[in-house]
Amino acid sequence: MIEAFGIGKTFRSNGSEIHALRDVSLSVRDGEFVSIAGRSGSGKTTLLNVLSTLMRPDSGTIRYDGRDAASMDARELDALRKNEIAMVFQFHYLLPYLTAIENVALPFMDSMIPVSRDRTDHAMRCLSRVGLKGKEHRLPGQLSGGEQQRVAIARALVTSAKILFADEPTGSLDKGTGREIMELIRGFTDDGLSVVMVTHDREYASVADRVVSMEDGRIVV
Amino acid sequence: MNILTIPFRNIRRKPAKTLLLLLVFTLGVVSIVSLVSFSRVARHSLEQKLWAFGPNILVFPKIEQIRLSYGGMNAGNVTTDVRFLDERAVLAGIDAIPNRGNVRAVSPKLVTVAAMTVPGKASASGADSNVGVVGVLWDREKLIKNYWMPQGRYPETEEELLAGHAVAARLGLKPGDRVGLFGREMLVSGVLEPTGSDDDGVVFGNLALVQENAGRRGKLNFLEVAAICAGCPIGDIVDQMRAAVPDAEITAMMNVVEQRMYSLDFVSNLILAVSLIILFIACAMVGLSMMSQVNDRKREIGLLRSMGFSKGRVFQIVCFEGFLLGVAAGGIGYTIGFVASEKILGALRMLEDASLTFEPAHLAIACGVFGLVSTASSLLPAWKASRIEPSEALVSI
Repeated sequence: MIEAFGIGKTFRSNGSEIHALRDVSLSVRDGEFVSIAGRSGSGKTTLLNVLSTLMRPDSGTIRYDGRDAASMDARELDALRKNEIAMVFQFHYLLPYLTAIENVALPFMDSMIPVSRDRTDHAMRCLSRVGLKGKEHRLPGQLSGGEQQRVAIARALVTSAKILFADEPTGSLDKGTGREIMELIRGFTDDGLSVVMVTHDREYASVADRVVSMEDGRIVV
Repeated sequence: MNILTIPFRNIRRKPAKTLLLLLVFTLGVVSIVSLVSFSRVARHSLEQKLWAFGPNILVFPKIEQIRLSYGGMNAGNVTTDVRFLDERAVLAGIDAIPNRGNVRAVSPKLVTVAAMTVPGKASASGADSNVGVVGVLWDREKLIKNYWMPQGRYPETEEELLAGHAVAARLGLKPGDRVGLFGREMLVSGVLEPTGSDDDGVVFGNLALVQENAGRRGKLNFLEVAAICAGCPIGDIVDQMRAAVPDAEITAMMNVVEQRMYSLDFVSNLILAVSLIILFIACAMVGLSMMSQVNDRKREIGLLRSMGFSKGRVFQIVCFEGFLLGVAAGGIGYTIGFVASEKILGALRMLEDASLTFEPAHLAIACGVFGLVSTASSLLPAWKASRIEPSEALVSI
């Protein structure tokens, strides 16, 4: 379970201040699918980045299963990102020189110890689950945009994380492919995965268990 | 698949860029390997040529002298005790010194004076002329005096002599003349061209014959030694010889030795300086290229950090890319450098006195050394990469 209280974040640029988040509080239960909707500049992506530990808030606290993120050192934060948090971005951010299966297994490639057979098989199953069986050894450049995003989703799933943060995961896809991706993500919550997704598309947002709307750095609904 | 898969694959991603960087670094390695090979061969060749200038250590028996002066009148020094060295003992002693490998030649001598009869050339005082006779071992003497240029030829038998230029002029000797010495007839097989040294004023003969006729069998009163020590001071060799032959007075002609050492060291230092400059330029190229790559791959690094890759892991990835590049450049560069050196030195006829051999161990050392050097050049870019936060690389507000 993730709980955020009184989150504030201000960006300073050229002497001016942008209050991206103002006293935001949000909690996500295990297995819950929460959509954060809002117009461009409403602060939804900043909230996602703060919740996913990519960005530190200026004020407020975030707890992951009761552990305060602000009190974690670099090693604990790395471990949290590695074992409990998964991320999918609008742009897939696949490593172009690794094959699909290698991109999926990338989270396991963080040491000199070769990725085990079990983990490789698990990565294969994740790829199959997103419908890419038979395309394991293709490079990202040999896959379509939708397929690349599926690889990115499989990569997010491979570590058995507890919560998936998705930032406009359908933003660069056509409507049909976008719906397929949404169905995929929706299906993962059945396995107990929590999902926090940012989208400006009301149709996709409605797939979630709960929709949170943001405006001017505040949650309005 | 492990963490090394990332740098391995990345260096293959942009083959043209990687090849260009590899080419630059390899050229640096080729230059260094060629220069070092040239230095080794040139040093060896120079050493060979420097030997041509003769001995640099002189060995005498210890002698006692009295300085005679009375009433302000100086009558010079008088030797009170003439001593000789034992040939076998002194040669064995010198052979046993730790730096024997640096002693190129030892030429034992017995210097004496004898009456020489020159048919048809009677001197003012009689038929015989006193000449200085130096008994030598010809194989050793020729090695140490390889600058000698005799008219005629070197003696080949016990009954043959080599006359110095000045004594030959004084007595009217020429190659093929027969003279009387030690009560027997001997052949002047050759006459030396002027050397400008004491060699001009004496006659050289077989050591055993001179010893026999001087009544000093197995004895010596002078040795010339040609030594050079690239890795240690000549003083060490002299000290070792003094310990090995305590009866001898041993003198190093330090200015000669130091001049030779200076010549060798100058060539070596020049090569080292040029090599270091080339290495520095190659390292700067690698460092700049790696820094540029880190800037290009910010998003990728941010992604790895967002997946829980620690700063240390990111640091390792960049360093390993540098290491791979250095190992490849070291291996290719050493091989090309070796082949190029062999061809160029061969064409310059510098391999006549020395040889170059391909050493797999040197290849491995080159790979290791240049791998480490390249890794060191990648430290700053790697540090910069490790400081990239996922938020700055991936996040848009």
